[in-house]
Amino acid sequence: MSGVKTFWSRFSALFRRRGLDRDLDEELRSHLDSAAEENRRREMTVEEARAKALRDFGGVTQVRERVRMREGVLWVEQLRRDVEFGLRQLQRSPGFAVTAILTLAVGLGANTAVFSLINGLLLRPLPVPHGEELSVLRMTRTDMPDAMYSFSEPLFRELEERHDVFRDVAGFAGRDLQVRSSAGNVRVPGAIISGEYFDALETPPLLGRWLTSGDDPARGASEGSSVVIGEDFWRTWFHGAPDVVGKPITIANTPFTVVGVMPRRFFGADPTERPQIYVPLAAEPVIDAPYKMNGEYQSWWLRVMVRRKPGVSQEQADAWLTAATRSLMDEAGRANAKWAKEGTAAHLLFFAEEGSRGFTELRAMFRKPLVAVFSLCGAMLLLACLNLASLLMARAAARERELATRLALGASRGRLIRQLLVESMLTALLGTCAGLMAAPLVSHALVAMLLGRSSTLVLDTSFDARVFAFVAASVALSTLLVGLIPALRATSHTLSEQIKSGSHAHTAQTRKRLTPALLMGAEVAVALVLVFGAGLLATSLARLYRIGLGFEPQGVVNLSIDMGKQARDGQALMNWYRDYAEAASHLPGVRSMSLADMTPMGGSSWISTLRTPWSGGDREMYENRVSPEFLATMRIPMLAGRDFRWNDTMASGRKVILSQTAAEYLFPGRTAVGQTVVEEKKSYEVIGVVGDIRYATLQEGARAEAYMPITQDEDKKPSYTAVIGAAGDPGVAGVAARSLAMKMAPEIPAPEITTMNEDLDASIASERMMAFLAVFFAGCALLVTGIGLYGTLAYGTARRTSEIGIRIALGAQRARVLRLIFLENAWIVAVGSLVGLAVALAASRALGSLLYGTSVRDPWVLVGSVAVLALIASAASLLPAARAARIEPMAALREQ
Amino acid sequence: MGEDKSDVLQGTLDLMVLKTLESMGPQHGYGIARRIEQISEQALRLNQGTIYPALLRLRQRGWIKAEWGTSENGRRARYYSLTKTGKAQIEKETESWERVAATMARFLTT
Repeated sequence: MSGVKTFWSRFSALFRRRGLDRDLDEELRSHLDSAAEENRRREMTVEEARAKALRDFGGVTQVRERVRMREGVLWVEQLRRDVEFGLRQLQRSPGFAVTAILTLAVGLGANTAVFSLINGLLLRPLPVPHGEELSVLRMTRTDMPDAMYSFSEPLFRELEERHDVFRDVAGFAGRDLQVRSSAGNVRVPGAIISGEYFDALETPPLLGRWLTSGDDPARGASEGSSVVIGEDFWRTWFHGAPDVVGKPITIANTPFTVVGVMPRRFFGADPTERPQIYVPLAAEPVIDAPYKMNGEYQSWWLRVMVRRKPGVSQEQADAWLTAATRSLMDEAGRANAKWAKEGTAAHLLFFAEEGSRGFTELRAMFRKPLVAVFSLCGAMLLLACLNLASLLMARAAARERELATRLALGASRGRLIRQLLVESMLTALLGTCAGLMAAPLVSHALVAMLLGRSSTLVLDTSFDARVFAFVAASVALSTLLVGLIPALRATSHTLSEQIKSGSHAHTAQTRKRLTPALLMGAEVAVALVLVFGAGLLATSLARLYRIGLGFEPQGVVNLSIDMGKQARDGQALMNWYRDYAEAASHLPGVRSMSLADMTPMGGSSWISTLRTPWSGGDREMYENRVSPEFLATMRIPMLAGRDFRWNDTMASGRKVILSQTAAEYLFPGRTAVGQTVVEEKKSYEVIGVVGDIRYATLQEGARAEAYMPITQDEDKKPSYTAVIGAAGDPGVAGVAARSLAMKMAPEIPAPEITTMNEDLDASIASERMMAFLAVFFAGCALLVTGIGLYGTLAYGTARRTSEIGIRIALGAQRARVLRLIFLENAWIVAVGSLVGLAVALAASRALGSLLYGTSVRDPWVLVGSVAVLALIASAASLLPAARAARIEPMAALREQ
Repeated sequence: MGEDKSDVLQGTLDLMVLKTLESMGPQHGYGIARRIEQISEQALRLNQGTIYPALLRLRQRGWIKAEWGTSENGRRARYYSLTKTGKAQIEKETESWERVAATMARFLTT
């Protein structure tokens, strides 16, 4: 074992230079002392003895330098030789090398890609000074299932006054802004921010100044407000003009003044947003016109981030805020007692949580799926390592004589182990390089899948120190996993043992075959876990796609038309919509054309309550405002009554169309058409009943829906989405409809086009990501396991050629030989599968909440996974077994 | 590998160290240096320090190993001893040295 010891001592030499130096210094001092002492015995004075000792020694410093250099140089030198040798070894068996590098590339690449996603979303701190002093505010109320991170403006204005433990209190919300250019209004990502926002984030501006409380009076005027812009916007929009401070900019048809430019690295408090313009909260009514959130107690929209006073800990801030809940509500509720009473009744409580990483809603959405996917990645890497370890061991068996000979010739065991480890490290490094090259592509694809193509959100997956540390740790770990066991095993035999046994072995070396069998068994188990997990996620996704939507998404394009900032309103605007729908329906490629307030799976929904004398009080249902032809465009079946018409105006009385479920709620056992339903104080005549649809999410069952006509919308300036049924390519119809809208209303920003299928995919983005990755991993796992089973068995039988030859010569039937070899893998697979099943069943519970309509112990998936694995394993084991059965005894014996 | 240029007698010194350890058993650096001086009867003017790079070189080749111990006068010192490989190596080194010496001798007598 001393070989291993010196190996480790040399290995760590680089990291403990000082220790080595101390050893050397002590040795030299001991030498000089001994020499001086001997000289003293020859009747010299202390000084003389000392001087002679030094003289005899020669230059102490020179000696020390030479020893030191040798220590370093030799290490580098040996490493270089090991690397060269390792590369030669890899070149000698390119098939093995490619398999090894590719499997590790997949394992490490996928891990890196997913980790960079996790890093970007969950781990990376905001690039602002002293981020550790930041907290994010949260509230809980018993009438809401989840914690809320959004506050209403009146409540925020009250919070903003409290500086007991907070130095700065900042409110913020992302908004797409309409900015006027020479070519009309364009959409620019921006943010509405409160007065202390920039104080809290402490990042100095590139030019000019940032916005302060003076720019954001609690009930102030919004005209002529100041804005701060981002560096990128400054460079593109103002061409980097140095005198940009003081320049005017028209946002939402209102003049603003640029007072500062923020550097590119600053993106505010939400890591997934990239605002280019920061507008003070006081200007919100201008930005949101024709709507307004300021002053509305029930509009929950402002996220709040605070910077704590120096010395105030996260826990203290949290405790203070929770205790202050009551007084805050009392104060904020002074103007709205009913609102405050509701809050108290729902046990509303405020909390402060760690905020150095900023706040984004995406975290809550994607944390679980990402962690699930990361676990799959980890399993994949483990599998790749196990596979390589067992292949290496099988191969090492072929190199046993080489290694034993080298051991006998005096190579230390540590030296050989190091050399074998260098070989596996080379494989790991090459695999990592390949994986690292692919990782950004993979993470970009994953981000695109998660966020959808049209999203303005950003998930920064760029590599930083944390990702590189992770990669380094993974490489080190996989090197050890891959290399250590085979290296220890391969060098544990002496030459004499080797010569005695060698390839002539015909005694079953149980111990020797146990480790590879264990490794392969573990690999089969991990593979089964991956395949089972993938099976569950894929089944769940398939079930989501097979759900009867109640409408036909194929060929439907949505065009969101923003009418909020143009001049038309009321009847004039309604006439515009009518003319537009009429004109668009005649466009080539358009089958049918309609308008709707909201679209299914579009991300927004409106819930309201209706009642009838038979409904047993108020019934909650989704409400939507739609134009004539909407139901036909979506192919929602009309079960009774009629569709809306353009002349269903207010004058003809309020009309409503109910979904089947809504009709059953409101008119149990009765005919709905022609009856009346009541919403608060308004009553509506039911003119039709249609089929149910999935509305907000695929997962929730069909809920009750009520449709009202847009022609009876009391909103002065509503913005609708054009819902277009395309006859051919939906993209073509969408672009044609967009140009038409731009021609009929040049002052509106270009409408965004999404297809209904994209919306559907986006609504189950994380399910799709999980299923795609899981299936990909499962495929890789099956392939890799197949290669592993084939490889180890092929190596194993090759070494037993003579034994098998003798068996056949002695009359063993070839079928029996086939069975013998085949069964060797069969029991590994059987035991591995059993263990894998147990692990899979235990681990799949964690997937439970991520699955739709699929039990975590779905028997079909279970049986299917085992069957697929068994099939692959059989195919992989049959080849070497068949080859063994074809061995000619004479040829085999002659080989000796 | 860049050999140290100042080691004119490198192979010789290595063999001397190995032989010393063979005859005296485990020994510290000072002891080895003194022994070499004594055997060569001052004919070889050796800087005692030269021995340390040689000791490290031999150690890295795995011919000798080092352990901390206490010297006869109670001082902490690093003791060197031959490894199995080292013992085998002495024979080879001796042979090659004798070959060189014989060749040199032939040159000098002609």
